[in-house]
Amino acid sequence: MPERPFWNPYVAGVVLGLVLLGSFLVMGFGLGSSGAVTRFAAFGAHLVAPKTVETNAYFSQYYGPGKHVLEDWLVFEVLGVFLGGVLGAYSAGRLKLGIEKGQRATTAQRLFLAVVGGVLMGFAARLARGCTSGQALTGGAALSLGSWVFMMAVFTGGYLVAPLVRREWR
Amino acid sequence: MTFPLYPHGLFGTYAGLLVGTLVGVAFGFVLERAGFGRARNLAAQFYLTDLRVLKVMFSAIVTACVGMAFLAGIGVLDLALITVPETFLWPQLVGGLLLGAGFIVSGYCPGTGVVAVASGNLDAVAAIGGIMAGSLAFGFGYGPLESFYKSGAMGVVRIDRLLGVPISVVAAAVVAMAVGAFLGGEKLEAIFAPRQGELVPASPARVKVRVFSGFAVVAALALVALALPARHAVLAAKPEQRISAVALAKDLVASPQSWWVVDLRPEAVAEKGRLPGAIVVGPEEKGAAAAANLAATRKLVIYSQSDLAAPPEGVKRFAGEIYVLKGGYDAWKAEVLTAPRAEENPTAAQSADFKVRLALYARYTGAASTTGPARSEPRPAAPAAEPKKGGGC
Repeated sequence: MPERPFWNPYVAGVVLGLVLLGSFLVMGFGLGSSGAVTRFAAFGAHLVAPKTVETNAYFSQYYGPGKHVLEDWLVFEVLGVFLGGVLGAYSAGRLKLGIEKGQRATTAQRLFLAVVGGVLMGFAARLARGCTSGQALTGGAALSLGSWVFMMAVFTGGYLVAPLVRREWR
Repeated sequence: MTFPLYPHGLFGTYAGLLVGTLVGVAFGFVLERAGFGRARNLAAQFYLTDLRVLKVMFSAIVTACVGMAFLAGIGVLDLALITVPETFLWPQLVGGLLLGAGFIVSGYCPGTGVVAVASGNLDAVAAIGGIMAGSLAFGFGYGPLESFYKSGAMGVVRIDRLLGVPISVVAAAVVAMAVGAFLGGEKLEAIFAPRQGELVPASPARVKVRVFSGFAVVAALALVALALPARHAVLAAKPEQRISAVALAKDLVASPQSWWVVDLRPEAVAEKGRLPGAIVVGPEEKGAAAAANLAATRKLVIYSQSDLAAPPEGVKRFAGEIYVLKGGYDAWKAEVLTAPRAEENPTAAQSADFKVRLALYARYTGAASTTGPARSEPRPAAPAAEPKKGGGC
């Protein structure tokens, strides 16, 4: 099957905005992702060291009588994101194993940098109480001051570091 | 004020989770179609060769923002019930810088990383693994981080409220800013893409005209909606009605299901004795806001200890009929909970009145207790006069 082209970015943005608006209209809140990834991480850590996670000053908010760390709106939403991603990639003929990198970068370099960047983001998203979805997109549309500060900081951080990792993408 | 639906209790937690999954499927599908399952499409933003991230993200923000401003303007969306992430200035500034750095190094952000994993990109599996490790690092290092994590706390700060202008004015400004950024961004692409030996990404003029003018039209409609009288302002102009203790007592016997009885006294006082079926919401504006969120399918009667000259402002947002109990709880005690005394030589009217009062006295002091913890109505959820606080992601 030939690969379908990506949507025009402005059109994709409008459709994404309608999904976000729909979430606001039905639920009263918007989209997110890093919160769910953190919950999965806590769930995994809990399998290894339950006491340590439950009594941790930050993760204790996920535990308690009648609570399950994965019984959360965001977790279900992100499972949906995964399903939607599979559906989108499959229907566009893009569902295949691969590694995204520039031609000059080796696979080992790319995977190493993906982990390093991921660690930075995981830490940053908890510090900022959200990521590009929950803060920049959702908080931006809801006109939260802090979310706009966050969004501008994300672009600034990206542009400052981009020259250092140029090799990764060329 | 119909939207948002969930806070009205139209569906429960589990239906909410199902909605969440469906919203997620749509979110993931669109991110994939936008090209965000591929790190190179995202990284290109930071080398100015393809500003796809900016275009998609700002178009989405503009769509949702002007959409909400318009729907609030015509009175179908209650902005007070929309969750707005709280502002913690310093951790959001530093977190944003770090997340931006992590974004270009890993090639994904958390949401697009999930979509990239779904598309089969193994580098995204590594990125998501890193995000999990980073979140755990934050959690386990939380102790010394806590004071910074909570610094710059400003509560819920919405830019329109901060500037003191209607939301549709800010929404229109966001549209203007976004379209300016799009046009400027396309100029940058035309300069930087050829330098990297790449094609300049082009959008058909027809698409751009439609999308940008669509934004402008909705923003303009939201501004025009400012001329409409706001719904709560109309309600505020509606005078509340007053009802005597005896009349209310009679009606509560006849049709208890047609009333919301709301006690605006402090909880400790209300625990000692209140009207049967009364909902205790707490005093002043906090309680008033909770009362205003009750369904408008019943009449609302509010009372305090003594007479309320005027109901608190927040109560006026209640969409149905509003009554104030004349004389407050004191009057209820004197006229309903106190045995009536017969007149010496009653007229026919006085005699009839005495019989009614006697029956009510028996009804409310005998069969129906006014004390004790039993409540016939659940206590409503947290008041929502202020935008709801949210944790973001």
